[in-house]
Amino acid sequence: MPAPNKGKGVWRNKVVSIRVSRLTKSFRTRSKQEGLAGSWRALWKPEWRQVPAVRDISFLMERGEALGFIGPNGAGKSTTIKILCGILHPDSGTAEVLGHVPWQDRQQLCYEIGSVFGQRPQLWYHLPPVDSFHVYGAIYGLDRDATRRRVDFLVDVFELQHLLHTPVRKLSLGQRMRCEVAVSLLHAPKLLLLDEPSIGLDIVAKQRIRDTIRYMRDEEGVGVLLTSHDAGDIEALCNRVIVISDGQLIFDDTMDELKRRHLTAKQVNVRYLEEGERSLPMAGVETVAAGRYGMQIRFDPRTVGVDAVISGLNGLGSMVDITISDPDLEDIIGTIYAENALDPDAA
Amino acid sequence: MARKRGLGFVGALWRVNLLSAMEYRVPFIMQLGGMMLNNVIYFAFWVLFFDRFEEVQGWTLRDMMLLFAVVASGLGLAMMLFGNCRAIARIVAAGDLDRYLALPRPVLLHVLASRSSVPSMGDFVFGLIWFVLAGDVTAAHVLRFLLAVVLSACTFTASLVLANSLVFWLRRSELLADHFMNAMITFSLYPGTLFDGAARVFLFTVVPAGLTGALPVEMLRDFNAATLGWLCVGTALLAAFALLAFQVGLRRYESGSAIVARI
Repeated sequence: MPAPNKGKGVWRNKVVSIRVSRLTKSFRTRSKQEGLAGSWRALWKPEWRQVPAVRDISFLMERGEALGFIGPNGAGKSTTIKILCGILHPDSGTAEVLGHVPWQDRQQLCYEIGSVFGQRPQLWYHLPPVDSFHVYGAIYGLDRDATRRRVDFLVDVFELQHLLHTPVRKLSLGQRMRCEVAVSLLHAPKLLLLDEPSIGLDIVAKQRIRDTIRYMRDEEGVGVLLTSHDAGDIEALCNRVIVISDGQLIFDDTMDELKRRHLTAKQVNVRYLEEGERSLPMAGVETVAAGRYGMQIRFDPRTVGVDAVISGLNGLGSMVDITISDPDLEDIIGTIYAENALDPDAA
Repeated sequence: MARKRGLGFVGALWRVNLLSAMEYRVPFIMQLGGMMLNNVIYFAFWVLFFDRFEEVQGWTLRDMMLLFAVVASGLGLAMMLFGNCRAIARIVAAGDLDRYLALPRPVLLHVLASRSSVPSMGDFVFGLIWFVLAGDVTAAHVLRFLLAVVLSACTFTASLVLANSLVFWLRRSELLADHFMNAMITFSLYPGTLFDGAARVFLFTVVPAGLTGALPVEMLRDFNAATLGWLCVGTALLAAFALLAFQVGLRRYESGSAIVARI
């Protein structure tokens, strides 16, 4: 079992908001051969198979922590979040969220958590967000005054003044998503479960969503469990990250540790004054791209010295510019997936 | 934060459904009026029929008016208040139950109250008008009529929940649920005395249309405690089965990853 990376001693004095142990969930799926003949056979003699979605996952999350939950498509992120919200029942294993077993105390738990599923809007499409806010106030059992006070606060924090009375259908995706996140915070939850909140958003809208979530995390102490395919979301909001792949937990540690362990390569971009053939035939150095006036290479500084690489590049001509950088988080995550020999597009 | 745990949220959902429907003024009025006109045209057949034959096994044109009044108002009330009872199969098949399960309220009640059908408001009003036109608008008769409408609405809701809950086992049963609803409406609008034997058993069990039309009208024609008792017991049993089927089925819910552009 992949145990939580933190030792028990580290967790002893901390308040745990999520405790997951050996969680497993699979779905029964009908398998069918292609074409009409396959469909005909499946009609009379269907074949079923169990598809594992989550396999023996265990982890802990501290109260008020911001935890990133990443993995390729079909890795089991959404299934795990849905189990933690009480939407799905696991096949085996245990989970506690804020002291509740989600699939047994779903209603009670929902008063204490907020959730946003980026692919499933919550606001009434034809009405302005203010009407949805009041309905959700009633759903969470808040009286009108309490709802109004909270709406005023959220409108202020999320800068929704100009959006509040515009029908949702007329809002941009980014504006709508800000309202979606705001409505999930209406009942002052202790924990926010966000499943791809930035899906489909442009960079400006993403930044605004990140800023407001970060504000609520810092000001109200709201814990955040975030899944996203955008490494920028994770980097901006989370101090700890869990990587899940093919239903299994493959990494659970701080963001710094993720970088330290996987930032094994340096990337160099170099430009030359003169035109010429560009290649650096040096063991341990990989040419990523090469042109007439420049090239991009990658190497592992633990096996090849930086000074050796620089002098090699210097010997190729007169350099006018050189940049040495770390690969971005996107590349690191890609490397982790690749190391686990998985197809990132596997559904 | 102080919380109220009552059913006030259902009222808030109905209110927002009405607001949502009224957002488009012309379609709202057209749908409402269109459904009433549709019912009038449908009833014209019975006017022509009873012009040739005075009665059908004891049922007169007035009884048919009462039948249409009860069924239209009952179905209208069910669809106005619990409009999603006919859409549960679609909601489950698309994995849209997630948004209800992520909120702190009883799932079935929340799902049912989250949609109000505008044309059904036309049905409801049509039923009231037809009741008045049928005559005998005494206080006692009005009370009996309202009771019949409420019981009919409960039966429509419960039977549609039951039929739609098959989706938890069959995975795709939207069309089956649609056919069931059509059968319920069709068989509800026949004179109660037209069927006997196996057909009558069928109409009080498999497609319980007898509970939404014939029996409530029997109660209006000749009010007695036994008929009311049977109606109440039948409705309560159906409601219990519907609740049980939904709750048991809910454990089999598998969610989904469909991308929904809007709700």
